[in-house]
Amino acid sequence: MIDFSMYDQKEPKIAAYKCLKCGAIYYPAPMVCSSCDARRDPVTGKGWETFDLEGPCTLLSWTRLWNLPEGYSKKNMLFGIVEFENGLRASGQLEVDDPKTGMALHSTVVESDERPGDPVNVFVFTQ
Amino acid sequence: MANVGIVGIGHTKFGNSSEYDLSDVLAYAATDALEDAHFLARRKEVDQVIVGNMASGLFCHQSAVASALVSRMDMEPVPAELVENGPASGASAIKIGYMAVASGMADIVLVVGGEVMRKVTGWVGTDYVATMLHTDAEYNMGLTLPAFGGMFTRMYMERYGLTERDLALLAVKNHANGAKNKYAHIQAPCTIEAIADGPDASVVNTYVAEPLRMYSTCPVSDGAAALLLVNMDSPKAKGFPKRPIRIAGIASATDTHCVHNRKDPLKLDAVRIAAEKAYAMASLKPSDISFAELHDAFSILELAISEEVGFFERGKSFLAVRKGETDIGGRLPINTSGGLKSKGHPVGGTGVSQAVELVRQLRGEAEKGRQVLDPKYGMAVNFGGFGNNVVALICAKE
Repeated sequence: MIDFSMYDQKEPKIAAYKCLKCGAIYYPAPMVCSSCDARRDPVTGKGWETFDLEGPCTLLSWTRLWNLPEGYSKKNMLFGIVEFENGLRASGQLEVDDPKTGMALHSTVVESDERPGDPVNVFVFTQ
Repeated sequence: MANVGIVGIGHTKFGNSSEYDLSDVLAYAATDALEDAHFLARRKEVDQVIVGNMASGLFCHQSAVASALVSRMDMEPVPAELVENGPASGASAIKIGYMAVASGMADIVLVVGGEVMRKVTGWVGTDYVATMLHTDAEYNMGLTLPAFGGMFTRMYMERYGLTERDLALLAVKNHANGAKNKYAHIQAPCTIEAIADGPDASVVNTYVAEPLRMYSTCPVSDGAAALLLVNMDSPKAKGFPKRPIRIAGIASATDTHCVHNRKDPLKLDAVRIAAEKAYAMASLKPSDISFAELHDAFSILELAISEEVGFFERGKSFLAVRKGETDIGGRLPINTSGGLKSKGHPVGGTGVSQAVELVRQLRGEAEKGRQVLDPKYGMAVNFGGFGNNVVALICAKE
């Protein structure tokens, strides 16, 4: 039987990190917990857990970038910094018609191959 | 610790040197500095060469540029090392050179900083510069340094009431200074009518990263600058033709790699801490500073840095710019060289170039029309990454 599972559509995710010793949460991954100094081993992950960083967020600032770097073919792109309900913040792409600081957004993650190198998971914040 | 003085300065004209080899550009500035110190014929007596460069491997497909430089200048077997600290590589090279002299390991150090960026296209160069961002959480998202400049500017505008016209006033000021600087990349003044008030302003001064426009963003430049440092307490310090300009304070500090992880992204803690340490080392306070070179890769940074180093209250610096307080004839001239906006920004060379400007002003050697009246202390802030690694330098005339 031919196994087609490799062609299954993957749902891209971006992970945030929780220190199980003190409960502090981080994005992106730290090597040491700044609250309790617990070490995170990126290979075993022992003492830490990950969770998907997603859901409702608030726009803190944004820009429309006109001089895009190598790999991007669009004329311009919107980027923003958001804050999630758990207090974590992230930077990513923005897809809204009329961005306003403070607006409520929803975080999604897509796989992007625009940057040079292997495809990567990218935040896209939408309304 | 030994007192460290600058006895020689060198500088290429910033602009497009893409037809030249990076080693030649660095060597030109280094030769200039040695000639200025009347030390060219004795160059093998230099104890140490330190080169500041950010990305020769990417921009020029060239590595080990410090080794290449000493060979290009026939200075073997003088020890030579490279310092890389993003756009603050130049000032970090000065700091390492200072540490070598102050520690007693060396009496004479040649510091050279430079970059040749224009061998690659603009979009490739923008990508290379963006590699200093956090790989997963910023670079991979498509973010660039101008994108952070734009978001930082918007936050500042919304909190403090800064306008796009205020940013244009900074460009007018810095272009006026750069127009008189023989080393500047862009030696042309601009008017507020052309870039803000006139009917064609939005065409002349287009958006780069909203609300940042072209005249609020530095050009991509090639160039190099160099300093000859000496132990002022050593017998070797005698015999230089020009009185040394003393390094009174030099310090650096770091901040979070990800801008979004700063509690208040508008606060540049690394700038504040580096400046506080430099003031303490020099036993000086902000009001003692006669003029300053502040890293305006984006015009907003001139304002934000001037507040972090204590020149102005937070959110008030642009009011001082409106009143002309930071003009050449003002209370506290800022970016007398034209700043990164007009003089240019060859990333690894900027910190050394800022120091050259401090020396030129303190010696009284700046061009007519942009010489500050009898300055005693000059300060430079070289800003690495988006403020995550910053060096502050204070030079004194005495």
